[in-house]
Amino acid sequence: MAEIKLDVFRYDEGVDAVPHRDLVTVDLPETTTVLDALEAAKAQVDGSISFRRSCRSAICGSCAMNINGVTALACKTPCNTVTNENGAISVDPMPNFQPMKDLVVHMDPFWDKYTRLKPYLQPADRDADHDRERRVSPEDMKKLVAVANCIMCATCYALCPVVSVDPAFAGPAAIAYAYRFIEDVRDGRRDQRIAQISEDYLWLCAHCYACSYCPKHVDPHDRIVDVKRAAIKDRVMMNERGPRHALVVSKTIKQTGMLAETEVILGTVGRFNIVGLLKTAPLGLRMAAKGKMPPPFVKPIPKVDEVRTIFESLEVPVS
Amino acid sequence: MTTLLPEDRAVDSHARSKSAEMRKYGFFPGCVAKESCKELFNSTMLLADALGIELVELTAASCCGASVVNDTNRDIARVLNARTYAQAEALGLDDVITICSTCTGHMRAANKELLESPEHLGQANAILGKFGTAYNGTVRVRHLLWLLIDDIGLDNLRKMVVRPLNGLKVAPFYGCHIIRPESVNGWESARNPHSLEDVIAALGGEPVDYAGKTRCCGFHIQLEKEDVAANMVGQNMRMAKDHGAEAVITPCPLCHLALDGYQQDAAARWGRTDLPTFHLPQLVAFALGVPTDRLGLNKHLIDPRTIMVERELIS
Repeated sequence: MAEIKLDVFRYDEGVDAVPHRDLVTVDLPETTTVLDALEAAKAQVDGSISFRRSCRSAICGSCAMNINGVTALACKTPCNTVTNENGAISVDPMPNFQPMKDLVVHMDPFWDKYTRLKPYLQPADRDADHDRERRVSPEDMKKLVAVANCIMCATCYALCPVVSVDPAFAGPAAIAYAYRFIEDVRDGRRDQRIAQISEDYLWLCAHCYACSYCPKHVDPHDRIVDVKRAAIKDRVMMNERGPRHALVVSKTIKQTGMLAETEVILGTVGRFNIVGLLKTAPLGLRMAAKGKMPPPFVKPIPKVDEVRTIFESLEVPVS
Repeated sequence: MTTLLPEDRAVDSHARSKSAEMRKYGFFPGCVAKESCKELFNSTMLLADALGIELVELTAASCCGASVVNDTNRDIARVLNARTYAQAEALGLDDVITICSTCTGHMRAANKELLESPEHLGQANAILGKFGTAYNGTVRVRHLLWLLIDDIGLDNLRKMVVRPLNGLKVAPFYGCHIIRPESVNGWESARNPHSLEDVIAALGGEPVDYAGKTRCCGFHIQLEKEDVAANMVGQNMRMAKDHGAEAVITPCPLCHLALDGYQQDAAARWGRTDLPTFHLPQLVAFALGVPTDRLGLNKHLIDPRTIMVERELIS
């Protein structure tokens, strides 16, 4: 048995002006999960400590919280792996959400983004009579297995730095879940779904891999890239900056071997988009004043033909 | 109960390479160090001289794919990088050294796929074969930061310092792709890295601890939604400033461009921070005695020489 000290964030939105912290000690085996330690604290020390939980085995997705500053499922985190330098375990509500009571947060923005996906199959012929089930080949199903493991715990959403400054961004989980329907051969709204998620800022993902800490290995980042590729393949909302950026980067690499910065800026913002270009101008002028401007043209690398051969062999879209 | 165990580290990034024995490395500067951050390229070459190592630039190397080409095709980055690795192999070098977090992460991801999947290596070599090249899978991609610690060593680095930083409070800013995903990088903990802190301390500076150090600079979405990218810079620099930082150091020129360029735009929401952002090799080269006027510090929008004068590092 070990003495487990929980340093708990305490707050009740209806009562408290500001949060405070309680240090609660329980005697449990050191390999106990943080969730079981919280359960013991609630049962033995202070019944008012609030947190969401249900399955206790990483299936329901209820108990995501910040444990020593790291967003994780409390039921999947053994206490002896997270004790901090003070010999305690700090537990806080997930970031990127409004706290409601103690470790419980308002989940509405997260669920709203799911709801917008219409997260259920919508076959093109759904009103037709079917005398048998709609079948999916093992290869087609394989693409969906990882995303189907999503338990909507919102760990990725809490970790997402884009969500933290722009709540309009759909966030990793919703985009990954959009992929789950976009790539489902039974669904009949593929392009509408791609358009919808593009409107919800698919292309605002900053490629930071903060969501790589998914407790269920859904790898939302890789699914976001899959949806972007689907958007380019189906040519959905191609006038947006995101797809234009991806294509012009590919184009300059194909032409010169290098990512030609000036060309990428012009191609993404739009060569004739005077307003857009003027908006980027102040920073450009500040950089120019320091002699820190990318060259207008980039000299192709030696043997650039090899690079072009690679692009052509893989049939990479560049426009 | 295996799900409760930490994930296995797949690649031993710390093992000593042939390149390290020869003190001669393949060098992949990346696009930005050749375009808008030439001061990074120059200070890296000056630092290599000061360290007594040779960086052999892979002059025919292409862009690593910059995390963006993946959006158009799932194979392109892997094959482009296989071509680059083949160039290092042809020179008899087994280390490719990068000076950009994004290059590091994406080149390592490509290499991991090539080394772990005969199918991927076969596909790459079928294409490289069209112009008489092949990748044999003998190359490892490492960042200059890791070279400093594994091959030079912090003790040696400390001994080489001739201009200690006098306790300058420097905030490390890692850049996502040198630490995440851990399955690709794995050289140190992505959640609690300390390589930059160790280097700052070895140079006689005082590392600043703050939550923003492993967060995203927003570079990759600057052209998508500039105000969001600027706010990500402001949020992180606010944290650094509030923890006492006088300057920032980053191993990534993309982070440098974001942090150096957007603090001014973020000031309206986050208050003025004005933290100068050193490229990693600039500050190391400075401490090792490379003349200040050769480091390109005058190219920064937030001039680092102001705080260096204040802290009596330069006159």
